[in-house]
Amino acid sequence: MNAWKITLKDLRLLVRDRRTLFILLALPLIFITILGLSTGQFLTMQDKNQLIQIAIVNEDPGEAAAQFAENLRQKAGLDAKLVVNRQEAIGKMETGVFMAVISIGPKFQERVEELTVADILYLDEGQLSEGLKSLDIEVICRGVFMNTEGIVRQLVFGSAVQSLAPYVTRKNKIASRIIGNTRAHFAERREAAAGKNSPPPKEAAASGTRGNVYQILVPSYTVMFAFFLVNIMARSFISERDIGTLCRLRMAPVSRAGLLLGKTVPFFIISLVQSALLFIFGRLLFGMSWGALPAGLIPVVLCTSLAATTLGLLVATLARTEAQVQAYATFLVITMAGISGCFMPRDWQPQLMQQISLITPHAWALIAYDQLLVRERLNLAVVGGCCAMLLTFAGVFFAVGWWRFQTLDEPA
Amino acid sequence: MRLLEVSHLRKTFSGNVVAVDDLSFHVDEGEIFGLVGPNGAGKTTAMTMLAGLLKPDSGSIRIQGQAFDPDRYEHRAILGMAPQNLAIYTDMTAIENLRFFGSLYGLGGTRLHQRVDAVLELTGLTERSDSLVKTFSGGMKRRLNFGVALLHQPRLVILDEPTVGVDPQSRSHLLDAVQRLCRDGVSVLYASHYMEEVEALCPRVGILDNGRLMECGTLPELLSNVKRELRLCVSPPSPALIERLHGLAQVQQPSHDELIVTLTLDGHLERAPLDEQLRQVMDLLRACGTKLRSIESEEHNLERLFLKLTGNRLRD
Repeated sequence: MNAWKITLKDLRLLVRDRRTLFILLALPLIFITILGLSTGQFLTMQDKNQLIQIAIVNEDPGEAAAQFAENLRQKAGLDAKLVVNRQEAIGKMETGVFMAVISIGPKFQERVEELTVADILYLDEGQLSEGLKSLDIEVICRGVFMNTEGIVRQLVFGSAVQSLAPYVTRKNKIASRIIGNTRAHFAERREAAAGKNSPPPKEAAASGTRGNVYQILVPSYTVMFAFFLVNIMARSFISERDIGTLCRLRMAPVSRAGLLLGKTVPFFIISLVQSALLFIFGRLLFGMSWGALPAGLIPVVLCTSLAATTLGLLVATLARTEAQVQAYATFLVITMAGISGCFMPRDWQPQLMQQISLITPHAWALIAYDQLLVRERLNLAVVGGCCAMLLTFAGVFFAVGWWRFQTLDEPA
Repeated sequence: MRLLEVSHLRKTFSGNVVAVDDLSFHVDEGEIFGLVGPNGAGKTTAMTMLAGLLKPDSGSIRIQGQAFDPDRYEHRAILGMAPQNLAIYTDMTAIENLRFFGSLYGLGGTRLHQRVDAVLELTGLTERSDSLVKTFSGGMKRRLNFGVALLHQPRLVILDEPTVGVDPQSRSHLLDAVQRLCRDGVSVLYASHYMEEVEALCPRVGILDNGRLMECGTLPELLSNVKRELRLCVSPPSPALIERLHGLAQVQQPSHDELIVTLTLDGHLERAPLDEQLRQVMDLLRACGTKLRSIESEEHNLERLFLKLTGNRLRD
């Protein structure tokens, strides 16, 4: 009961400490927003900036060229616009309106007519072995986007083959029949699936989240800032010790366990609120998905917050002064965040680093969030294992913190 | 009846720094017991052990005849402590501080409100009860720090330097409040290095230095060890006068035209009373035609005793 009174007191003090509230609640949001802006994925910018903007110049009046241009416009990942004049399109590309210009030459239809089914099946050996050039298609990219050129070339070539295949196979009766049957079969399957009105499979629901950088940013910063509590919590303990109120609390009829609980729970609550706010804002502002199993986030948030607050308790009982907290706790928190992969996706880390990062609770939290928010196939066993590891960290931190708290009798 | 009894208390730090050594004293019910000592004498360490926050290496503390067990609620409830540091939350109002600490001692509802109001009145903070403590003056903070210790109506209040850094008005208010507590039957252990405060408040005093209790007793008992002196400056000196004063007073001749005659009255009244000594000396002066030029008196007090016991060496 007395623990709860201490909790309420600390919550009241935290709410009045605007600087701390700002660090805990507003700073993570500002960080995420800035990073989102820098990756061009903030609010409505998201759709536009994720797409490669290209201009299509169609110099072939044929039906196949028109169909190909239309297919390009419908292509996911491209924001394609038809431009009549090639020079105008190149001019706009140079001023930054487009990233690339796709020019469909006047011989496109003629080249398509010459293709056989074999050319479609054996792209590297037939008439299409020279790629886009074989179809009189030219891709012009801005110099600064050399990598983009390769991607656009592959996209355009793939799209061209997809568009041309029906034209080419029409000329071959057997292939035409096989393709016709296959398409009919696919159509039946689509209708059957629509009739059942069943929810999309898990992997389908989760798919599409990979493109949103916030699927990674929000959990990364949620974890990193959850552990920022370590600093603030330790400072609260030190301050209580410095001004003498800790002695007064210990003189009152409050058990050591009650005192420790009362001092820890407010930060646990703040951590939960912080995580919840980040995920809510992540969804509302940044359009992130909560994955196929949003309820699965709850145990991960709880376990991460528990690990963070117990680490705070440990640091609070190890540090003697506020200067020590500033120096050591800040170093610890930043280092752990860096090692674990809070600053960059864990997938980018070398295998060895990924293994090393497992010494931090952050890494386990990130693995769990990765499963829930990014992976197409959700593996609940992995999430459960991560939660168990986070609880183990929390248990160890609490045990050592408790032991240290017993020795606080002795003056510094 | 003895409320607190401390016997042979000892505490060392880092194995060899003796903070408190063989400390023994007692505090009776309704008594204000003063504990004085220079900086680093061991007062705060002793009080911290009495508050149950520090475990003694050896010795015993008994409260109401029972061995003090800090883990027992009844024992903690008997004690109230105002530490030397201002152990209050400056980002909370006075009333919030009082309600919070009161609630920890199990006070609630009407009882808590009554106690908070009573303490605010006692400490003179009723008008500012809703103000944040960080807006308070040093004296107001001290009074609140003191008030928090009284919320649960403890039987023994431990006050560690309660008037450090406060203005005369707040000091006077605090001392009045301590005396009111005493009248209400509360025992007070009052640690300070303001001798005049301790002398005014405490019928019994212990003098602590280097962790050891140098002297302990009632004020008259302690002051009986300090001599009172009356110094008369007379002129002109004459050999006959000096001769006749021998055995009656101490005589010094700092210059050729004046004589210092010192009358001593020690606490044990071994000599004649001062008025009798003075009458005899005055008769002699008159008889020798010597004039009294000035009189200087040096009274015995706790400060003189304290300096006598602890010396003039600076303490850090």
